[in-house]
Amino acid sequence: MKRSWLQWARAATVGALSLVMVAACSGKSTTGGSDAAGGPVTLKINFWGDFGLQDLKTRYEADHPNIKIQLNSGEYNAQHEDLQKKLVAGSGAPDIAAIDEGFMVQFRSQSDKFVNLLDKGAGSYESKYLPWKWKQSLSADGKTQIGLGTDVGGLAMCYRTDLFKAAGLPTDRDQVSALWPTWDKFIGVGQQYTAKTNKKFIDSGTNLFNPILGQQPVGFYNEQEQLQMDGGPKVAFDYTIKAIKAGLSANLASFQADWDKGFTSGSFAVLACPAWMLGHIKDTAPGTQGKWDIAAVPGGGGNWGGSFLTIPKQGKHVDEAYQLLEWLVQPEQQIEIFKKVGNLPSQPALYSDPAIADFKNPFFNNAPVGQIFPKMAQGLTPQYLGKKNGPTRVAVENVITRVQNKSLKPDAAWAEAVKEAEKAGKS
Amino acid sequence: MSAITALGKRGRSRPALLGRAPQDTPAGVGTYLLLAVTFLFAAFPLYWMFVIATSTDEALAKLPPAVIPGDQFLVNLREVFSLQDVYFAASLVNSVIVATVVTASVLFFCSLAGFAFAKLRFKGSRGLMLFVVLTLTVPNQLGIVALYIVMGKLGWNGTLLAVIAPGLVTAFGVFYMRQFIVNTVPDELVESARVDGASTMRIYANIVLPTIRPALAVLGLLTFVATWNDFQWPLITLSGTDFPTSMVAISDLASGNYVIYRRVLAGAFIATVPLLVMLFIGGRQIVRGIMEGAVKS
Amino acid sequence: MSTTRAAPAPSSRRAVPAGRSGGDDPRLTWRDRLYRFDMRYLPYLMIAPFFLLFIVFGLFPLLFNGVVSLRNYQLDDPTLPYWAGFDNFARLFGDEDFWNALYNTFGIFLLSSVPQLLLALVVASLLNRKLRAQTWWRVGALLPYVTPIVASTMVFSAFFSRTYGMANWLLGMVGIGGSGDAAIDWRADKLHSWIAVATMVNWKWIGYNALLYLAAMQSIPRDVYEAAAIDGAGPWRQLWRITVPMIQPVIVFTVVLSTIGGLQLFTEPMLFDLNSQAATGGPNGEWQTIAQLIYKVGWKDLDLGYAAAMSWALFLIILIVAGLNTLLTNRLSGGRR
Repeated sequence: MKRSWLQWARAATVGALSLVMVAACSGKSTTGGSDAAGGPVTLKINFWGDFGLQDLKTRYEADHPNIKIQLNSGEYNAQHEDLQKKLVAGSGAPDIAAIDEGFMVQFRSQSDKFVNLLDKGAGSYESKYLPWKWKQSLSADGKTQIGLGTDVGGLAMCYRTDLFKAAGLPTDRDQVSALWPTWDKFIGVGQQYTAKTNKKFIDSGTNLFNPILGQQPVGFYNEQEQLQMDGGPKVAFDYTIKAIKAGLSANLASFQADWDKGFTSGSFAVLACPAWMLGHIKDTAPGTQGKWDIAAVPGGGGNWGGSFLTIPKQGKHVDEAYQLLEWLVQPEQQIEIFKKVGNLPSQPALYSDPAIADFKNPFFNNAPVGQIFPKMAQGLTPQYLGKKNGPTRVAVENVITRVQNKSLKPDAAWAEAVKEAEKAGKS
Repeated sequence: MSAITALGKRGRSRPALLGRAPQDTPAGVGTYLLLAVTFLFAAFPLYWMFVIATSTDEALAKLPPAVIPGDQFLVNLREVFSLQDVYFAASLVNSVIVATVVTASVLFFCSLAGFAFAKLRFKGSRGLMLFVVLTLTVPNQLGIVALYIVMGKLGWNGTLLAVIAPGLVTAFGVFYMRQFIVNTVPDELVESARVDGASTMRIYANIVLPTIRPALAVLGLLTFVATWNDFQWPLITLSGTDFPTSMVAISDLASGNYVIYRRVLAGAFIATVPLLVMLFIGGRQIVRGIMEGAVKS
Repeated sequence: MSTTRAAPAPSSRRAVPAGRSGGDDPRLTWRDRLYRFDMRYLPYLMIAPFFLLFIVFGLFPLLFNGVVSLRNYQLDDPTLPYWAGFDNFARLFGDEDFWNALYNTFGIFLLSSVPQLLLALVVASLLNRKLRAQTWWRVGALLPYVTPIVASTMVFSAFFSRTYGMANWLLGMVGIGGSGDAAIDWRADKLHSWIAVATMVNWKWIGYNALLYLAAMQSIPRDVYEAAAIDGAGPWRQLWRITVPMIQPVIVFTVVLSTIGGLQLFTEPMLFDLNSQAATGGPNGEWQTIAQLIYKVGWKDLDLGYAAAMSWALFLIILIVAGLNTLLTNRLSGGRR
């Protein structure tokens, strides 16, 4: 017994030692050497979901042998929280950090922690961007531009043609759009669908709330940073509760495993689709190719989400990072991302580029996404999204989730939402 | 519940066995059956982890549950290892480094201190040992906020050092080593070595270490398991860096906009295998260690 | 505690050839001095690493935590005044989240520790027989103990899925819950989420505690059982009337251990959340524990001062509860005799 134990211990020691050596070597290859002049530089990009960067990374690395790009995709809220933590700590932030418009005000108010892209010559891009998009990431005094826009969300509705057909609903995208000029009509269609099929119509109440809120002139906060729950949020919330009460929602928490599975299993027939949602559907449910189509959003217009790329000041390779950032927002790359994952560029000149204007998305039954989304983006009057917009949204979404899982009475929900929103705004 | 009634029935039907200590009573079929159920309860989650880790997405939602492993293990593993933002391969190496260094350090420093407390005479030894015993039950997770600040001042946050340093010694290790040495290393042996002119360190190396080998094995295994499985502190100091431990990496796999259970569980399974191997090889020692610890404390 | 220690007579070592002298005391040889160092100072050197490391990374943070709790340590707002006095503690009393987390922590603690220790007793008494392959049964009991909580929690997280979970399927077979809208949503309310989290804790620790009990059971003198044969106690009564009172110290020990562990529960509730980085323990904090709240306040809201105050509060609570539990268990398991 004793002897066998000894042998084992010896083997373990040898194993551990060799692993340590492997680690030492592998450690060097990923982190070391980057500060040597002219040596390889590793640029880390933090984002969430799918930004369509995989192929671009390969291409950029091939053209720039001294650059290695590290793509770091995480969870939406967590990435923003992590960035905040690293900015405060003074180290650990990525070379390029994506920031969603919902968190932009929070970060642009700390513009001293980001590289002012105007110093790098980004001013020349101002005219190329949708004016509101350019302003969203500009500091209050207008002197510091912390990020360059990548995509805008826009809004449309993705629906399953096969499920619509089975429910006796039209499947043609224009006819479907005509079904629901308003959200009231939309809920009516949903009731028709559930009555006929005994299945759920939408994925989740939160994915009704967000787009409807995105259509309101004022969101959670006005430009004086005051919480305005009785305005836009109330409208969106009421529709959401109405839909949940009518039994339309599959009650799946979005961006979670069950929700993802819902795409494949047909747990719901329609969901609100900003342009960036297209990539998610394609990635999660590749088997449903051709079963989807895209119709207009009830209520017309609106926006949900849209991102920026920023360069935290603490990075060691600010110049290289800017080169990459600049390259990524060039038309060619933006068009490639659009085709790949659906993210709509925020530079209107591209909308008339045939590569976008004529693009039909094969996954979505050849829907003319190059027409649907740009039209919307151009007609947009964007909402002001307050400093605390991120946490406030999460708080209200949680209240909706509680209504959906029946731990909160729908009638008591609004009071609760106001309370939670106020709490989130304060923390 | 069923355990209770079964035991009761058995008792009434076989009064002949009474009076014998339970450990001398041969186990009946009922006992084996109940033990088998217990074992199933303990092992099934692990087995099912493997099933999902080897399957396609569909297996997860199957009811009745999938119980036959699939053939996708390598496919899933390749996906886990190729996810750039999770650093899974590096995380395994990191976990090995952290757990190995911590274990080696605990064994060395704690056996050294344990030996001093058990067999050497020095002023204040009793008071210092009392201090060790008193700190045994202090949960040092309660100091993590300050620990984070301290590590920040040292510039160690986000590095493996931040995870290794707090684990290098444990009060339990010193206590356990002292008890074992008191009980197993005869004073006469130490004394006679002294007379022969052996220095303290020589006695430690030549007499104490060989004698306490079983205790070292136990403490080593327990320390390794605990360090490997630690989550809260590594999450705080290492998440979002390029140097996660495997536990942090698995939690990264389980977040993000795509939570794919076959991947998460493939990663989890890989991170569990080393511990299962240790349990398989060193199980006897671990069992003995836990049981001895129970009787002595 | 005290044992006879090796105390070799120093005089026997003095019998080295005199003559080679040096230093302050001309009569001491270098070997003498080495010897004196060995005897007088080396023990301190041997325990020094432990104390140094423990004080720097264990004790100091614990005490420094107290200082931090009296400060404004809001990471993203350095403009606040340095000292906060007792503001952080005052805030605790009015903080709904804190009381909610405290309530959850105790709820989960009760649901986990009571069944855990009772079942461990049963398993221990099963193991406490003459068994074939005895070691392997015992090793098997440790499977959950060596499994990383992170790994097992991910498995249980899938078990307790509303739509596709095995838990609902099993319960459905005995007529509880159902499918579709009738399915139990394990993440919707306190009771169900507590049960789910407690199940994970129970799974992890039953086997470990059973081994602790087993060890104690086997050290009960055999004649105690022989004497008990006279009043004809069956195995079940034997367990409760003889075994449990006899192993009472170990039961107290496990109660203290599970109190300390249970009140600091972090990993299970954290990863049970569908969004495992949210640290909210459900949409309305249904199962958010104090350890989780400390994490959220400290590393998401970046308010380290307040998080430190919470840690101190938790420390006090653990002390009180562990003390109470010790008293209570002493009464319960001893009073049966």
